[in-house]
Amino acid sequence: MVENVTSPDVIHGIEVKIGQVPLWRVRLQMLWISIKANLKLFFENPIGVIGLVIILFFFLMAIAHPILMRTVWPPAIYDPIRGFDLSILVHPSGPSLSHILGTDPFGRDVLSQLMYSTSSEFALGAIAALVTVFFATTIGAVSAYYGGWLDTIFMRFADLIIMTPFITLLIVLSTLFDVGMVELGIVIGLLGGFGGTTVIIKSQALTIKVRTYIEAARVAGGGHFHIIMRHIIPNLLPLAFLYMMFTVTSAIFSEAVLSFFGLLNIRMSWGLMINTTQYTGYLLSFDKWWLIFPASVSITLLCGAFYLVGRGIDEIVNPRLRKR
Amino acid sequence: MAEEVLRLEHLTMHYKTRAGELSAVDDVSFKLEEGDSLGLVGESGCGKTSVALTILKLLPENGYIKGGKIIINGKDITNYTENQMRKVRWGEVSMVFQAAMNALNPVYRVGDQIEEAMVTHLPPLSKEDMQARIDELFRLVGLDPALKTRYPHEFSGGMRQRAIIAMALSCGPILIIADEPTTALDVIVQDSLLREMREFQKKLGMAMIYVSHDVGVIAEVSERVGVMYAGRMAELGTTAAIFHDPIHPYTMALMSSFPSIVGEKTELVSLPGEPPNLLNPPSGCRFHPRCPFATQICIDQNPDFVEHEPGHFAACWHPRGKK
Amino acid sequence: MRAYILKRVAQILLTYFLFLTGVFFLIDAQPGDFGAAYFSDPRLTAEQRHTLSNALGLNKPVGERYVQWIGNFLKGDLGVSFSNYPRPVTDVIVERAPRTIVLFLTATVVSFYTGFAAGKFLAWKRGQLLEYTATIAGVSLFTVFTPWFALVMIWLFAFRLGWVPIGKFINAQFWMGSPVTAGSVFQQMLVTAILAGLALFTVLFLVRRLDARYRNYVRWGGFAVILAGVILYWAQTGIGTLALDILHHLILPVSVVTLISFGGTMLLTRNSMLETLREDYILAARAKGLTEKEIRDKHAARNAMLPVVTAFVFNLAFTLDGGIITETIFSWPGMGATLLEAAITEDIPMVMGGLVFTGFLALTAHLVADIMYAYLDPRIRYA
Repeated sequence: MVENVTSPDVIHGIEVKIGQVPLWRVRLQMLWISIKANLKLFFENPIGVIGLVIILFFFLMAIAHPILMRTVWPPAIYDPIRGFDLSILVHPSGPSLSHILGTDPFGRDVLSQLMYSTSSEFALGAIAALVTVFFATTIGAVSAYYGGWLDTIFMRFADLIIMTPFITLLIVLSTLFDVGMVELGIVIGLLGGFGGTTVIIKSQALTIKVRTYIEAARVAGGGHFHIIMRHIIPNLLPLAFLYMMFTVTSAIFSEAVLSFFGLLNIRMSWGLMINTTQYTGYLLSFDKWWLIFPASVSITLLCGAFYLVGRGIDEIVNPRLRKR
Repeated sequence: MAEEVLRLEHLTMHYKTRAGELSAVDDVSFKLEEGDSLGLVGESGCGKTSVALTILKLLPENGYIKGGKIIINGKDITNYTENQMRKVRWGEVSMVFQAAMNALNPVYRVGDQIEEAMVTHLPPLSKEDMQARIDELFRLVGLDPALKTRYPHEFSGGMRQRAIIAMALSCGPILIIADEPTTALDVIVQDSLLREMREFQKKLGMAMIYVSHDVGVIAEVSERVGVMYAGRMAELGTTAAIFHDPIHPYTMALMSSFPSIVGEKTELVSLPGEPPNLLNPPSGCRFHPRCPFATQICIDQNPDFVEHEPGHFAACWHPRGKK
Repeated sequence: MRAYILKRVAQILLTYFLFLTGVFFLIDAQPGDFGAAYFSDPRLTAEQRHTLSNALGLNKPVGERYVQWIGNFLKGDLGVSFSNYPRPVTDVIVERAPRTIVLFLTATVVSFYTGFAAGKFLAWKRGQLLEYTATIAGVSLFTVFTPWFALVMIWLFAFRLGWVPIGKFINAQFWMGSPVTAGSVFQQMLVTAILAGLALFTVLFLVRRLDARYRNYVRWGGFAVILAGVILYWAQTGIGTLALDILHHLILPVSVVTLISFGGTMLLTRNSMLETLREDYILAARAKGLTEKEIRDKHAARNAMLPVVTAFVFNLAFTLDGGIITETIFSWPGMGATLLEAAITEDIPMVMGGLVFTGFLALTAHLVADIMYAYLDPRIRYA
């Protein structure tokens, strides 16, 4: 510590020789150092790590499915939608060596369905999260920076969305329009991006707006666009990243509920697996647990995992939560 | 002979942190009599606030008293339980917190928060007597009694601090500890508050401990000054002695960083480096890495806290820089 | 305080108006004609078809239809439900809304109360094992797939243990030949519950003014008297057993909705409480020599409750969604199940009615939470 202070050309352990190293490299190095520090904090906290492990597990499942289909699983039997095992007489059949999680009432392999659906759950979560973050950060930053009637309109609108029950609205939407995975992701993203997430991001942007470096940028002649893009939005990104995690949770959850009610136009998903169980009348046949538990547990686990990662990031983004 | 109010004997307090034991207060001793006022001064993190909190055993979960004794009003409270401590807190020793700190609960009326302290510590009073006493306290600290039904957010910083002082006085304590009492206030308010606090103290005859990083504040209000460095008491003496005839090199540096307007021009001694990391304090005298007079003995052995002149103590191997 | 409430009421009314507008144009924007599915129903006569078409104003421009719809709404006319033809939508709402309100209200109050108490306790008694168990339980309840959770509860308590019925609002066999309808019994139950609640509140309020010595006697005495009154009243009506049947069917759905919102409240209270405990006024309260209980319940909990109430507003929608799912799984005919069914059968007036009701419930709860917040935080009240 003492050495750092006495020699002014050393910042955080990086040698800064002005004029020799381009500025972007210094910035990159600084960024890398802060990422390393944050990762270290993240991994100190078991909550976030548990979440990450679960996500990783499902990610591997998603990757493994096409590989298995091409190698050991003959498509005629293991295709998640059209497959059928002729060698078994009665479907649904319980777990066996060839069907580790059994088959569903239509003779399809449950494990294959489970793994096949994983990638679309990730895709859905990613779409919803990206859309949310894009709109929430833009609107939050603009609303906080300009204030006035623009702010009023966006915030009233956000109030409206916050109080509207998400799934109720989606139920209505999905019966009126043809909603598939992508559309659902976009709608969930929009609801988050104009609703609750915006309000939170905006209140953060308000605290950034009054900081001295914004004033400095303004005095230095920075335009509005420049200030918003270069100074406000980058400082909102950590919080935005945190809310991406929560958006993923709500996207996966909503999809599952809607599919369970049979309202979505998709071919296979965890929710749809439970829907199949329901309309074939096996909903309360817990002795045939493989019909309802694998999908339900997966939904719960993946939702929980993203939530846990969110909580882990929360403790880094909001240092007041950190244990001393 | 005035009654002794507080005596600390070799008080040592540690925090348990994830990175290890942090020695926040190390071997601090002093005593205080009725009507005394002592200022504790030092850089942030030197342990002055920790001393203040330890006296009332208001330590966070991870802090504990490792050794030494705290004697308040003749009673050794070192091993008092939380329940026993409750009677000592505010009843005998009260605190004035930093004004920037939100020591008033935002959701309760100011008057009610004072009443709460009195209900806890004073013999039962009728409603009218209680209100009369609160009015009296408000007038004493220069607040309009009508303000007692207001909420803290309706008070300015200075008013809030006056309310906290009124609360500190409410149960007739024998000692008040003021932790950075005026730090967050503007200079004018600061000045009048300090003067008033000095007056109450004289009028009510209690002892006072002021904790501040601001040498100016300490000089204004206290008769004696204790200079703390890295959890240890470096020097203790009358305000005049500390200011005009410091013994410890750290005090010398601290005083010269506070230039006197009227006094003769002296060279400002600069202090290189930062206060040490208390997780792993330097050996011997904790000041030695920054001390211009340090020799081998300073690295090897911790100097005792000895009386160099009557009432003027210091812990240094090279008092006044002498070899 | 009054000015604040008036302002909030005005804002909420405006929001509700915007909501209604949103609902209308959302439904209007759907592709195709929104009566088509029903007009093609061969059971309808040409005359009925014509009346329906006119009543819906399907051949008028959208602006005019909007004005008409809002006007009808203000007159309390939401049109005729296709799937319950010829019952008016309002009629269906009047019958089923009380059920959803009871489900929502009971679940909300109970989960808020117990979640807050549990979170407070967790923050106070910190311990590694307890903390992990509670966090895991809380996160599980918060993120569990609601339909599955409801199924597991049904399987366990209804199927295996047989403590409660598997689903539905009443046991139909039991009600055969009874002189009253389930709706009217339920409405009577609701009135009793409200009156008992008010009496309870009055007792609690009066007790605070009493001398500390008598407080407990009067409090528990009051509870006993109210309880006895309710039981006596229902015993003499002769339909007490029917009311019990409804209650019996109510237990499990209410528990499910309560539990799913309990986890979130508990976790949030714990965090909020831990943050509050670091505040300076808590240190000051300790320095004042207050008891642990006073510090925790009076100083910390009151402040820790503020973010929990705020989050309650954010979670309202979540709880209402939980209600829809639960009602559907339990075949419990409240507004949630009705809305879902209407959506699936494309009963547009009923869907709109359902949304109108849901918005009303959400905004009323929002308003109550706002008023509660203002009551708890003087900084809002005197702003």
